[in-house]
Amino acid sequence: MSELILSAAPHIANKNSTRKIMMNVLIALVPSIIAAIYFFGFMVAVNIIICIASCFGFELLYNLVISKEWNKAGVKNSTVWDFSFAVTGIILALNLPAWFNFSNQAMAAGIMPKAIDIIGTIGVCMLGSLVAIVIAKMLFGGIGRNFANPAMLGRVFLFLCFPGAMSAIGADGIGMEATTGATWLVDRSNSGLAGNLLDMFIGNTGSAAVGETCAVAILLGLIYLVVTKTIDIRLPLIIMGSTAVFALLLDGLVNKITGMDLLYNMIAHMLSGGILFAAVFMATDYSTSPNTFIGTAIFGVGIALFTMLIRVFGSYPEGTSFALLFMNVLVPILDKYIVPKPFGQKGQRKQKKVKAAETKAQEAK
Amino acid sequence: MVEKYLEGYILLLTFPKGIHPDGHKHLTEDEKIAVMPVPAKVFIPVLQHSGKPAEPVVKVGDEVAAGQLIAKAGTSGANVFASCSGKVTAIEDRPCTTGKCAHIVIENDNKNKAITLEKLKSPTPEQIIERVVYSGIVGMGGAGYPSGSKLKQNKKIEVFIINAAECEPYINCDNRLMIEHPGEVLDGAKLLQTAAGAERCVIAIEDNKPKAIASLNEYNAQNNTGVEVAVLKTKYPQGDARRLIFAVTGKKVPQSSRSTDYGVMMNNLHTAYAVYQAVREGMPSYSRVMTVTGGGIKKPSNLLVANGILYQDLIDHCGGLTGDNIAKIISGGPMTGKAVLGTDYAADKTSGCLLLLTNGEANTENPTACINCAKCARVCPVNLMPMYIDLYHRAENLDAAEKYGAASCIECGCCSYVCPAKRPLVASIAHAKNKLKERMKK
Repeated sequence: MSELILSAAPHIANKNSTRKIMMNVLIALVPSIIAAIYFFGFMVAVNIIICIASCFGFELLYNLVISKEWNKAGVKNSTVWDFSFAVTGIILALNLPAWFNFSNQAMAAGIMPKAIDIIGTIGVCMLGSLVAIVIAKMLFGGIGRNFANPAMLGRVFLFLCFPGAMSAIGADGIGMEATTGATWLVDRSNSGLAGNLLDMFIGNTGSAAVGETCAVAILLGLIYLVVTKTIDIRLPLIIMGSTAVFALLLDGLVNKITGMDLLYNMIAHMLSGGILFAAVFMATDYSTSPNTFIGTAIFGVGIALFTMLIRVFGSYPEGTSFALLFMNVLVPILDKYIVPKPFGQKGQRKQKKVKAAETKAQEAK
Repeated sequence: MVEKYLEGYILLLTFPKGIHPDGHKHLTEDEKIAVMPVPAKVFIPVLQHSGKPAEPVVKVGDEVAAGQLIAKAGTSGANVFASCSGKVTAIEDRPCTTGKCAHIVIENDNKNKAITLEKLKSPTPEQIIERVVYSGIVGMGGAGYPSGSKLKQNKKIEVFIINAAECEPYINCDNRLMIEHPGEVLDGAKLLQTAAGAERCVIAIEDNKPKAIASLNEYNAQNNTGVEVAVLKTKYPQGDARRLIFAVTGKKVPQSSRSTDYGVMMNNLHTAYAVYQAVREGMPSYSRVMTVTGGGIKKPSNLLVANGILYQDLIDHCGGLTGDNIAKIISGGPMTGKAVLGTDYAADKTSGCLLLLTNGEANTENPTACINCAKCARVCPVNLMPMYIDLYHRAENLDAAEKYGAASCIECGCCSYVCPAKRPLVASIAHAKNKLKERMKK
């Protein structure tokens, strides 16, 4: 007989693993990657490769620095093999514009402005990966312990560093393909190129973040994630549903939009900006979403509320990333105060009632 | 058609949450219960129940017959009987699944002498309880709580539930008992109902045992026993007492109270069979049906095993091991059974299954970091948050572990089963639970 294993029950487990979950997310991201490359050009592919590679590099490097095992065993024992770095890398790349324009700022008519743009964009991608992996994820304890979605934090960091490129206000000259243009959120005229709902649904519209335009691709990913039971469909539904409601209440009523425009406005709000991509791929991040259903509902409604508040009243045209970041930070509090009661156990109020009734009955005797 | 669909799938009784592990029941589902011949020596443990070990009342050199009292229960516990006729050759300490206890070693003389008690035709409740207590009958689902102590209480019982859910994968002993001995099982259930003074008696079966359901219904149609058969949706941990009470009656019994306070009493199906044997046949509890199964055994089978037969003898009887790739030997089911090191353990009243898992079947993965996916919280039938209990227990923060429900854990293992990081959650929570109990005592 070979060596027997002595361990606590249960002795069987399902075949799921962290790596399989990450693989499912990667597969779900494929339609969005294809759509982004189709609409925004080859540079998206370069960005994705750079982001994945640098996320891998930074996570491995961090592991080796911490463990001080600069050998094969150190590499083998590092946390990179669960492939969560790839998810972070791809989501980060899909949240960035295809190009960061340095040639305009630095050397307007210099030599090979395109080459400078490429090098600059690659540098920005690496910087974003550094912030995402090292600061947001590894410094807080690695997978499962990060306080905010790493890709989201990387995006917000780059957004604050390069606000022009990231909010697509200065979209001209960045070097996008034919679909270059400001998003509907920046230029609210439903007659323009950016305002066609069908174009918005397919993704044929200008945007800063390359991954968030194509609703079809994101929905395909959502279906795959739900079918493989990787995520719970209720969270994306809550976020999108409350986005619609808040679009009616905050934007529709406050700005006095009437009639069919109200409906158009609502759908346009749901389809533009990063809300759909964030609802499917970023809000559902395990470690930064609440672990109870009630908590999840509050989390989802909160994301939609703050997104709409920033869009309608804020100074930025788009606020999904800030809303998500804010709600991410709230998650530990939600999980602290919303704890389900064990099966059959009565709440404190009910227990008091029962006790009061018992003492009354005794007194009556 | 629609009604049939509704009846079959939606209206079936069950409880919230839980998991659907692969059944693996087909391995022994159609294997008839065969009698395992008693080998040359049996090693009968004096601790086959929850409570204190029984005190041996025989000496080395004594001649005993099957069914003879060899160890008497103390303040809590159950009597232990000889399982074959022969000579007591030693009383020695040996490892058992719960640690170590004295084993009475009997050398089989192959004379098959047996002592039986008086057969009771129409016993009163008191007579049944007395017989159950004397016969050393314990909860044969695995817990081993003495059934006599359970029946000796004076609360009003509405429903007596016979637990035939057998929700653990691989095990088939209760299933086969129902298929082959429907009359005996139903009579035992009826006796238990009489002893407890219950108004109704329900046998609860999961719908993955259609043959057993048909067998019981057929017997019921011919002889009106008055015992109801409730069909449940297959789900783990349906066999847990409080889950089953909810599935059958809709009553929510919290972990801190007893089911008798809610007018419900429950016993395992095999216990009902043992009660039938003790009362109607005068045979005390010294044997049971056991499923020897798993990918590691050549001939998976259901055997009638006398207490004290070593696992090695059972394995030899079932054709031996399939190969060298045995990862785990488990006494009990794969979800709550105990892993043992070696085959030198004796079968007892509570071991319904001997499971030999190969490397492919058993979970042999090393745990990785928790990714906070909350899959454990989603399946926990008691609404706990296992990831936080594990986290705070490791941080030695017992107050926080208690807040997330550590004290209410039923140790069913659903959380560990679904964990993608393969964390030993239930072991950690059970540890935290024990620490909380110790703290309560102080």
